[in-house]
Formats: sequence, C-alpha cells, structure tokens
Amino acid sequence: MRTGGGWEEVEFNSREPVYLQVVRHFKEMIVAGKLGAGQVIPSRRELGTLLKINPNTAQRSYKEMEERKLIVTEGNSPSRITRDDSVLQAIRAELLGEAVDAFVAAVRKVDVPVDELLDLVKSKYIEALSVNPAHADKEGSGERL
Amino acid sequence: MIELKEVRKRYRGRNVLNGLSFTAEKGSITCLIGMNGAGKSTIMKAIMGLVPIKEGQILIDGKPRGKWMYEKVSFVPDHLTMPLGMKMSEGLTFMADFYESWNAERAAELMRFFRLEPKEKIGNLSKGTAAKYNLVLGLALNSEYVLMDEPFSGIDLFSREMIADVFSSELIEERGVLLTTHEIDEVEYLIDKAVILQDGKAGLEFDCETMRSEQGKSIVDVMREVYSR
Amino acid sequence: MRNYLKLLHMEIHRFRSILFVLMGLTALVQICAIAFSTIGEINERNAYFQQTGKPAETFFAAMSFTRMVQNTQFWFAVPVGLSIAVLVIYAFLIWYRDWFGRSTFAFRLLALPSERRNVYFAKLTAILTFIFAMLGFQLLLMPICRAVFTMIAPADQIQPSFIADAIFANQAFKILLPRSFGEFFANYGLGIIALLILFASILLERSYRWLGIALGLAYAGLCAALMFFPPLALGAEYSVGYLYTEEIYAIQIAIDLLIAIVSVWLGLYLLKKKVSV
Repeated sequence: MRTGGGWEEVEFNSREPVYLQVVRHFKEMIVAGKLGAGQVIPSRRELGTLLKINPNTAQRSYKEMEERKLIVTEGNSPSRITRDDSVLQAIRAELLGEAVDAFVAAVRKVDVPVDELLDLVKSKYIEALSVNPAHADKEGSGERL
Repeated sequence: MIELKEVRKRYRGRNVLNGLSFTAEKGSITCLIGMNGAGKSTIMKAIMGLVPIKEGQILIDGKPRGKWMYEKVSFVPDHLTMPLGMKMSEGLTFMADFYESWNAERAAELMRFFRLEPKEKIGNLSKGTAAKYNLVLGLALNSEYVLMDEPFSGIDLFSREMIADVFSSELIEERGVLLTTHEIDEVEYLIDKAVILQDGKAGLEFDCETMRSEQGKSIVDVMREVYSR
Repeated sequence: MRNYLKLLHMEIHRFRSILFVLMGLTALVQICAIAFSTIGEINERNAYFQQTGKPAETFFAAMSFTRMVQNTQFWFAVPVGLSIAVLVIYAFLIWYRDWFGRSTFAFRLLALPSERRNVYFAKLTAILTFIFAMLGFQLLLMPICRAVFTMIAPADQIQPSFIADAIFANQAFKILLPRSFGEFFANYGLGIIALLILFASILLERSYRWLGIALGLAYAGLCAALMFFPPLALGAEYSVGYLYTEEIYAIQIAIDLLIAIVSVWLGLYLLKKKVSV
C-alpha cells in the first residue's frame, strides 16, 4: 500500500503531539472507509517517510495504536488494522461523538428548535454527500504482494 | 551519546561558546537552534575536532575524542569539502580508502536515490547537488552519529524534499543525528529534541513531543519565548 | 603507514600535471638552447671559413658540449628558475589550497581516522619528491642534450667532454647539482630545514591567524638568526679565532639539527591540537 490513499494529505498541528495526530489520522481513515478491517498498513519506516515525520514519532504512534488495539502485529508480518468489530465501532462512535460535540458547541449559540436544526443538518449533509462521495476510494483486498 | 560539558571558545575576542552543555543521544534527532552567528557551525566543527576549544569537554559515548571517533561520527558540512578536480566517484573511492566503516553499496544506492552522476566533477556541481553529495559522503559511512550543518540552507525546494526524506528513512534510524538549521519549519516534525542556543550557552534543551503535549507549544513558540527573555 | 602512503600518493597525483609541464618545459627550453647554440656556433665557424679561407680551428676553441652549456647559461637557467619558483610557491600552496577556495579539503583531511602527522609527512615528502624528481630529470636531460649536440655538430669538430664537467659549466648547477656529496648534503640539508621552518610557520598562521603570521615570521627569523649567527660570532672568518673550524662546524650542525627537530615537532603539535578550519 504505497500509493496515495490519503497518506500525504495530513496537515499536522505543530502545537499538539504529532504521534497522537497520527493515531487520529488513522482513526479518521478507518471511519472514512479508506482503511478496512484487517487491512495491511505501511511499516513504521514507510509511514515516517510518507508523512515526513521523525521515525521515532512513527514508532510511538504505532505503539499507541497497538496499545489501543487499533492495529495488530502478528510475529514478523506487517501490521494490520484490527478486525475486532467492537474496536472499530468504538472508534466510529468516538469520532462521531467528537464531531457532534463540536457541532453542538458551535450551534448552541444560535437559538433554534431541535427539529428545524435536524432538518437543516439532514439537507446539508445530503447536499455535501452528492458533491463529494465519501466511500469512493475504499481500497480492495489490501493483500501485500 | 555525544556530550558537551561547559565548552568554551573564544573567537575574535568574543566568547562564542560560553559554558555550553548539552547532549545528543543515539537513535534521536537533535537540532541546534540559534540566531546567525550564534556559533552553531562552530559547535559542529568543535565536536569534529576541526577547531580547538579553550575549555570544557566533548565526549563521545563517554570517552574523550581521538582519531577513532572519525569512524563513528560523520560530518555533513554546508559546503564542498572535496577537491574540485575530483570526480564524484573518485571522492567515494577516497572515502573507501581511508574509512573502514565505509559502505560502498550504500554509497551507490544513495547516489542513485539522489540521481547523482558519478563521473561528474565536483567543481561543476550546483549547490543542491553538492549538498546531496555531501549527504552521500556522510551517510554511506556506517557511523553511529551524523552531524549535519545547515542541510537545507540555500537548496532548491525539490532537493530539500529529497533531503528531508532521508531523515524519515532507515538511514537515520539507529543513529544519533545532530543538525543545525535556520529552517525550523522544515524540521518541525522531523526532530526529537531541540537545543536553543543563547549567549554561547544552551538556553533551553527539550523534547519536542513532550513540549507539545505538556505545554501545547511548537518549537517556534518556544524559540520566540527564549529569545524575548 | 598505509594511510601515509595513500595521502602521499594523493598529494603527488594532484600535482602531477604541473610537474609534467615543468619537466616538459625544461626539456624543451634546454634542448632548444643547446640546439640553437650549436647551430649558431657552426654558422660562425662557417662564416669565418668563408671570410678568411682558414679552417675554424685556428681561431675558435674546440666545440665541446661543455662549452655549449657554458654558452647557454641564461636559457638553461630559465626553466630551472621557473621550476624553483613554482616549487617554492607550492610549498605554501600545498597547505593553503586545502583551506581556501570553494572547497575546504582540510575538513576531510583533518577528520580522517588516522594520525594527523600522516598529513604533515605526506605533504613534506611530496615536496621533497617533486624537488628530487626535477633534479633527477635535469640529470637525465644532460646526456640527452649532449646527444642533440652530437647529432647537430659536425663529427670532426667535436671535442668530447664529460657530463660532469658540462654540468659544472652552468652557474646554477654549481649550487643545485654540486660535485661533492658534502656540498650536496649541505645545500639540500639547508633547503629541507628551510622547508620545515616554512611548514611550521604556515601551521602557526593556520592556528592563530593574524597573530600566527607574526609568530610565524618571528619563528622563521629566530631560526635564521640561529643558523647564521654562531658561525659569524664564533669567528669562522678568523683563522686565529677561539674555536677550531671543525668545532664551529659541529656546533652549527647541532644547531641546524635542533632547529629541524623543533620545527617538525612544532608543526605536528599545531596540526594535531591547534589548527582551525
């Protein structure tokens, strides 16, 4: 998995620990469907080169992801995204929750009834989806050659 | 670990290094940050024994330096240091002749990676090409530490990207890297530790990720703070 | 030892084109000088014969190679002088070329995993090699020049001469290629000591810059004084001086040796501990 696939588009924030930002990016890729369950991911070194970060940072992010059971490494084979559905669901819930929290915090300033709000959200969302389909580049088997 | 202890040096009446102490660990990328004329290049040259120091100690893995260190510590300077009449391939042969830890395969690999033409004369190289060649000379050595003096300075963008790639690659992985640079934004995500120089001393020495997680500050933020004190 | 040889090879290799040019030039100028001189002499003789009807031998001295060399003092000396000048300049440049210019090779030389004294001795030996190579080449040229002379001059008018005499006929060679080993030893010994003093001075400058220039000049001056003062002060000129000439001579040699050793030690010390890029 060396070509594109969202690895070069990461913009890092220089005020937050980079390794955590990498973990977050992985979560986003999973939730967006760009990384499937059990899919092989680049090695630590490759990741460092792809994201243009320090190899120690890449290493640390992998450690963090392993601890959180986001990725699994069996023996000498390349690391893969976990197949554990509960973990995947938890990530989805986490990111969704964060996004919604952010949205709620932003929109609370406007005095609006919940139904109107939900209708607005629904129409805006459908609009956004038709312009920019989210699942278009989900990669296939993810088997290494 | 490269260790500097209370290093002092005078140059033209000025105390360029005035009790400088810091360490650069193996497996880590350390960056010396400082204003122009703060003595960054001098520190590199001092570690390499290319300029003498007045006081203080410089230790490599706890031992005082000697000619043995040149197999363990390689230097990537900011300008050409091979005779201009030599071809790049002859420069590689020169290194192979004198250094036991020279890795000829890696040298050839790096020449290909940087797209350097071995038959070209060193005197004809552009600045970017010369910088890449210096990197080959420094990295093809199986050294444990690599010192780089302004690896990005005055280099075109594409060459810079190639050089930055080196930092994230396995060429650097187990080594200790010490570099100096003005281009903080180029290295913001590449370095583990920063040493900010001030008045010939280490104003602040810190781990970058720790600074980000504990204080939410980027390297540039810390720099601004230190220099406005 | 191997590193010393590698560095020596490199130093000689870097200079080889200049060395070949000097040799080529010397050969060209000297052979031409002999050729033209010989032809000129032949023309004069023929002209005399034309004018007076008497054979040339009645007026001219015999044609010998030695005499030809004597007649070509100036042209013979020109390439020699040039070579000496180039070598003296290179005695400086062999160091300074590694510090100045677009590339600072000193960074590499001083960071080699070998003793720095190998760099010093490689440069020293290289200069000496160039000097003796030129000398050897000059010696080789003499029989070649004689062959040229023999080819051009009419056989019946040639008076054979020894190469040694021919060499001695040139004023410059009296110093550079002296007849006695003692003289050779003395001349070149002094030259080598001067070279050692020069290296020490150069390294003083590379260690202390402006102050170093002053120190270098002071050191050179001191050495010069020490080398020339005692013989004069101790009365070498007076046949009835306090000390025998042999004693003065021995003192002088001791002083010279001391200066040589101190200069080498100083150069090595500075190179190892004090020199800066």
